[in-house]
Amino acid sequence: MTRSALQVTNLSIRFGGLVAVADVDLTLNPSEVLCIIGPNGAGKSTLFNLISGIYRPSSGKVELDGRDITGWPAHRIAAAGIARTFQSSRLFNDLTLVDNVVIGMHTRTRSGVLDALLRPRKARAELTEAAERATELIRSISPHLYARRHMLAGALPQADRRRLEIARALASEPKVIMLDEPSSGMDDRDTDALMADVRRVMAERPGLSFLIIEHDMRLVAALPDRVAVIDYGRKIADGQFAEVRLMPRVQEAYLGQKAAQHA
Amino acid sequence: MANHELSLAQPRPATGPDLAIVAGVQLGGAALLGAFLLGEKTAVVVALLAVMGAIFALLQLRPGLEERIVSAFRAQRRPALALGVGIVLAYPFFMQGSSYALHLLVIALLYSVLALALNFQLGSANIPNFATGASYGIGAYTSALLALNFGVSFWLTLPVAAVVATIFGFLLGFPSMRTRESYLALVTIAFGIVVHQLLNNFSWTGGPNGLVGIPAPTIFGHSFAQPIEVLGFRLPSQANFYYLSAALVALSILSAKRLHDSRVGLAWNALRADPLAARCQGIDVVWYKMLAFGVDAFLAAFAGTIYAFYVSYISPDNFTFLVSVTIMTMVIVGGMDNTLGVILGAFLLTLLPEKLRIFADYRLLFVGVIVILFLILRPQGLFPQRPRHYGGPQ
Repeated sequence: MTRSALQVTNLSIRFGGLVAVADVDLTLNPSEVLCIIGPNGAGKSTLFNLISGIYRPSSGKVELDGRDITGWPAHRIAAAGIARTFQSSRLFNDLTLVDNVVIGMHTRTRSGVLDALLRPRKARAELTEAAERATELIRSISPHLYARRHMLAGALPQADRRRLEIARALASEPKVIMLDEPSSGMDDRDTDALMADVRRVMAERPGLSFLIIEHDMRLVAALPDRVAVIDYGRKIADGQFAEVRLMPRVQEAYLGQKAAQHA
Repeated sequence: MANHELSLAQPRPATGPDLAIVAGVQLGGAALLGAFLLGEKTAVVVALLAVMGAIFALLQLRPGLEERIVSAFRAQRRPALALGVGIVLAYPFFMQGSSYALHLLVIALLYSVLALALNFQLGSANIPNFATGASYGIGAYTSALLALNFGVSFWLTLPVAAVVATIFGFLLGFPSMRTRESYLALVTIAFGIVVHQLLNNFSWTGGPNGLVGIPAPTIFGHSFAQPIEVLGFRLPSQANFYYLSAALVALSILSAKRLHDSRVGLAWNALRADPLAARCQGIDVVWYKMLAFGVDAFLAAFAGTIYAFYVSYISPDNFTFLVSVTIMTMVIVGGMDNTLGVILGAFLLTLLPEKLRIFADYRLLFVGVIVILFLILRPQGLFPQRPRHYGGPQ
């Protein structure tokens, strides 16, 4: 049996009396794309925050490549191989595109304060090399971004901001990459380009798995291998999109009980 | 290869105009500073401030001009550096033997070091640290106590004081694990006040009377209390400390540059822009914050040691909360995360109150007005942060 890339078992978090995520199980296999869908406020982003270490789970377990990473701080989880983007993209706006991607390589570079002060040649060489790789990465993501690589990230339009965030996430050479609503604020053309980007990245990096929160049903129908549905913090369905969409519970979650009966 | 594409494919401009720009800017700046230092009439001082204001207004209105100057300096790095060092070395000879002007220069240079130290935190990482004055004091007191009680030489107290202050800096960094922004600022204010109160109340620090009679350093048998005599020129004894502080500023600039252009500087910048996103890139936010506290304290302690041996008398009132606020203003007015800007801010805010003494009790009011005017002219600071350059000619 192949080991799953990411294994989430019985994961829960409570904020006071509110159970935001309750006993969620998820399995993400290597080279798989799993979409997480569900109504607004269902707990999808909270689930991401649990997996990436921004919140500590109240109970349950998160394993990456068979290694237990439950409750690790966010920076160690990032180093372990989970990269992510944010719903409202969080770039380092006052830095250049190249700088943004180089920061994404933080866990793949080593030099510290003493290196920088006392062995500047070595530190400098490492950073220059990182900048070269970052430039290559930006070019492979989009020639359009490449042309703007010395601009400040804050000046980018929305679709490019997503691309740069994905490039930054890829820079850490992750095993799992989590995208939180990558298509939000995009038109159909940009969404198509986004799907093409994800497919190309997958083809170039065998073994890389994607966990994607999405609302755009066009993308959900076309891109993922599997779909998991979350409602009120619980997973209510998991499987092929074609099957999942027909499940009464899923239709209820999206449309309400009454409407689902007529659907 | 990728290397070629990184170094921007620009045709190399002729060196002549670049050299002229570099020399003009450096000599012009030096002349302006000299006139400001030696100007005794208030009208002259105000006129010079107006000239400076006009220059910055011009830079603000014509961004191309600023870019041109920056590119000239970038292309002529070595000549610019050589000329800069030459100017700094020769500067005391043009001060007409005025020990007051040299004294102002020494203080301005020491404040430049302090502002550069704080810039690692405030400018690079956006950590509001109101305790730089306290680190300055810890450095000054450590070295003074070592020299007075154990006869330790100045040169040995320099690193020892820096290490002691760094340890305190790290300790101060501890609360940064749990507090953020305004709350962290409050913690640093409290730290500054605690240090000041302790220095004021311990008997072994001399209490409010401070420490008196700190011996002047010597190097190769030359005491820093003696005037310098070279080639028939006679420089006041302050010149010794001028050169020493200038060397420390050079060291600080070098450290600032190396750290800024490194993985550490980038991590600090990430922390400044978005701490949550920084964590998700694998940056240990707590460690990098504490590191910034440590580096700040290290440099501030160097400045403190030189200050203690320069004035030979220190008291707790040299290291109050107000000192920290002044240093912070220097960084903000000069330009966050820009080495040159921060130094300019330090000079401006050290020299202005001295030169506006004519206004007696109202002078701080005028300093405030001038600072506000400069901030209106250049909202991002006199010299704002500039994007990094990779793979350019080194």
